[in-house]
Amino acid sequence: MKPLLAAACPHCATPVEEPGFCCPGCEMAAAIIRGAGLERYYQDRTAPGVRPEPVVAAWSEVPVTMEPDGGCTVRLHVGGLTCAACAWVTERAVLALPGVEQATVSPTSGRARVRWNPAEVDLAAICGRIGALGYRPRPLAHAAAPDRDLLLRLGVAAFCAMNVMLLSAGLYAGWFAGIAPREAALLRWTSLAIATPAALWSAAPLLQGAWGALRHRLLSVDLPVAVGIIAMYAHGVWATLRGEEAWLDSMTMLIALLLGGRVLEQGGRRRAVEAAQSLAGFAPATARRVLGDRVESVPANRLAVGDRVMIGLGEQVPADGVVMDGRGRMEMAMLTGESEPVGIGEGDRVVAGGVVAEGSFEVRVTAAGEDTLVARMAAELAAAADRPSAPVLADRLAPAFTLATLVLAALATVLQGGGAGLAVLVVACPCALALAAPLTTAAGLGACARHGLLVRSGDALRRLAEVDLVVFDKTGTLTGGHPEVVEADPAALRLAAALARHSSHPVARALVAACAARGIPLATAREVRELPGEGLVGEVDGAPVRFVRGVVEGVGEIHLRDALRPDAPRVVAALGQRVALLSGDRREVANAIAKEAGVGEVIAPAGPAEKVAWIRARQAEGRVVCFVGDGVNDGGALAAADVGIAMGAGAASSVLVADAVLVGEGLAPVAAGLRVARSARGAMRASVIRAVVYNAAAVAVAMAGWMNPLIAAIAMPISSGVAVWGARRVEAA
Amino acid sequence: MNGILLLLPLSIVLGATFVALFVNAARQGQFDELDDEATRLLDDD
Repeated sequence: MKPLLAAACPHCATPVEEPGFCCPGCEMAAAIIRGAGLERYYQDRTAPGVRPEPVVAAWSEVPVTMEPDGGCTVRLHVGGLTCAACAWVTERAVLALPGVEQATVSPTSGRARVRWNPAEVDLAAICGRIGALGYRPRPLAHAAAPDRDLLLRLGVAAFCAMNVMLLSAGLYAGWFAGIAPREAALLRWTSLAIATPAALWSAAPLLQGAWGALRHRLLSVDLPVAVGIIAMYAHGVWATLRGEEAWLDSMTMLIALLLGGRVLEQGGRRRAVEAAQSLAGFAPATARRVLGDRVESVPANRLAVGDRVMIGLGEQVPADGVVMDGRGRMEMAMLTGESEPVGIGEGDRVVAGGVVAEGSFEVRVTAAGEDTLVARMAAELAAAADRPSAPVLADRLAPAFTLATLVLAALATVLQGGGAGLAVLVVACPCALALAAPLTTAAGLGACARHGLLVRSGDALRRLAEVDLVVFDKTGTLTGGHPEVVEADPAALRLAAALARHSSHPVARALVAACAARGIPLATAREVRELPGEGLVGEVDGAPVRFVRGVVEGVGEIHLRDALRPDAPRVVAALGQRVALLSGDRREVANAIAKEAGVGEVIAPAGPAEKVAWIRARQAEGRVVCFVGDGVNDGGALAAADVGIAMGAGAASSVLVADAVLVGEGLAPVAAGLRVARSARGAMRASVIRAVVYNAAAVAVAMAGWMNPLIAAIAMPISSGVAVWGARRVEAA
Repeated sequence: MNGILLLLPLSIVLGATFVALFVNAARQGQFDELDDEATRLLDDD
C-alpha cells in the first residue's frame, strides 16, 4: 500500500512519493512530447495523461494498403483518447517521425489514418510511438471502409444531370423561339452521349437493387424506379435516332437524386456502427506466446487453441482462455461494465480485452482471433448493419404501385398511342416515394446522434417511433453511479471525511461533500491508506481510525446511496407516457428512487430472467417496449425489448446487443430520440402521401396525352424537392 | 452555329476536368471523414 497524494506524476497524475515521474514510461512519454515541441498538450488537456504500458511489437503482420505511388496507409483505432489535446498530441508526435507523410486522429471517434513512406519508417515504429505516449493503437479490422464507389457514381450522375439539363434548356428554348434542325440534332446527340454514363454506370446499383429484389420475388420501390429509368433511356436512344424529344434530363436528375439519398443513408448508418464499435473496444493486436522456455511476440489473430500466452501487469488479454498459472486481479469493464478489478486465479476463464490490474498470468488459449467473444460480438454488429432493412411504407406500396403503372401505361398506349404510354411509365417513376425513406431515415439518425443517442439502423429508428412503454433499469441508468450520504452520525462523518480527503474514490468525494453541506469542519488525517474495495485507514487527531464498508469502527455508521441522475425527473416527465422501473434492488430502495424520478410503476426486486419475462408479458399485451439499461445483466432485457438503449459508459456487451447507445452522462437523449423518431415517422408518412398524390396527378395528365418532357423536367424536381424539405424538418426536431 | 461548335466541346472538357478532379479526390479518401474536418478548425496552428 502506498501513501496517497504526496506528489503527482507530471504526466499521468499518479500520486508518487517523491516529486518526479511515476515510471520510466511516463518519463519517456513526456520526453517525446517535449522533444517534438508539443508542450502545449499539458495546458490544453482536460484529463491527466495515460500511463504508458509496454507495447509488444508484432505490427509487421498488420495488413496495410499499398498506394500506387509506393506509400502505405493504415486505418487504426487509438484507444485512451480523453480529449482533443490527446488526439492533437498523438497526431503531431506521429507526424514528427521522419517518413510519415500524413496522420489524422479523430478526437471524437478515435479513428486514425496514417500514411507513410515504407523506405523510411515502418508501422511498428509509428504504433510504438503512439503506445509510448500511453495510447493504445490497434488495427481497425472490422471497420467497413467507407464506400467510395457510391459517392463516385453520385458525382458522375450529378455532372451528367447538370449538363443534360443545360442542353435541354437550349432545346426547350428552341421549341418556343425556333431552332435550326442541325443545332437541335447536335444538342440531342450530345445529351445522349452525356446521359449514357449516368444510365449505364451510375444507375447500376439502382437497377441491381430492383433485379435482386425481383429474383427474391419481392416488389420493392426500386422496381418502378428501374422500369422508369430503362424506359426513359431506351426511349432516349430511339428518339435521338429519329430526331424527337427525349426525357433524358429527367432521367439523369432522377438517378442523381436517388443516389444522393443512398449516400446520405449509408453515411448515417456507418457512423452509428463505427461509434458503437469504438465504444466497445477490442482485444489487443499482439500477444506473447510461450514456446518451450522462450517467449515470442505474435499477432493475436495468429494464436491457436491450446497456445499458452503470458499476460503481464497493464497488458490486455489477447484471446479467450483459461488461467494455468498466476494470481491477481483483472478489469473486465468491457464485458461487465464493472470497473472494479475482480480477483482471478488458476482455472478461471478470462476473455480477450480484459486488462490485468494486479499480478501476471499464463493463459491457455481456448478461442483466438475471430472466435473470441469480443470479435464475435463485433462481427455481429457489423453484420446487423449490412442486413437489408425491413420493408418500409414505400416498399409496401410498391406492388400495387407497379401493377397500376403497368396497367395504366398499357391502357394509355391503347387509348392515346405509344407516346402517352411511355409518358405514363416515365412520370409514374416514383422518385419522391423512393427518396422518402432514405432521406427521413438519414435525417432522423443524424438528429438523434446530435442529441447524444446513436441509433444503429433505420429499422430501430422506426420501431422507436412506435414505443409506448419506456422501462428504465435503476443502477447506472436512472442513478448515475455517484453515491451520496443520506444519514450519518456527525462524529463518524467528521472522521471518515478526514480520511476521504486523501482519496479520489466516488464514496470519498461524497463524504467530503456531505461534510461541507452539514457545516462540519474537516479534520486533518495522517498515514492514510486505501484498502481497495473496502475502505480507508489512517490517523485522525492522533488516534487510529478505520472506515470500512460504511462504518467508522467504534464511532458510528454512515448511510450512502446511489444518487438519482439530475436530469432523470425532467426526462421522465418529458416522455409523457407509461414509464416503468425494473430493478434488481430491494423494493424500498427502488420505490424511493422511482418516487423521486416520478416513475409510477415499479417492479422490484427483479432478476435478469424476470426482467425479460416482464418485458415479454407487456409485449404480449400489445405494448411496444423500449428498455434503457446498462451492465451485463441487462443484455437479455435489451435484446428482448423492441428497442434496447444501452448506456455508452456501460458494459461493452450491452452496447453491442442494443439498438441504440446513449453517449455521455444523462438521460435527456432518450426523450429527444423518441421525439425525433416520431417526427421522422410523421415526415415519412407525409412524404409518401405527397408522392402518391403527385404521381397520381402526373399519371392522369400523361393518360390524357398532355404530358411532355418539359413539364416532367419541371414537375419531377419539385416533387423531390418537397421530399427533401420534409426530411429537413426532422433534423430540426 | 459556329459558336456552339466551339463552346459545346469546351464546356464538356471543362466539366469533365472537374469530374476527374472529384474522382481523384474521392479515391484519395478526402470525403471519408467529413465530420472530423469541422473540428480541425479549432486547432489553432
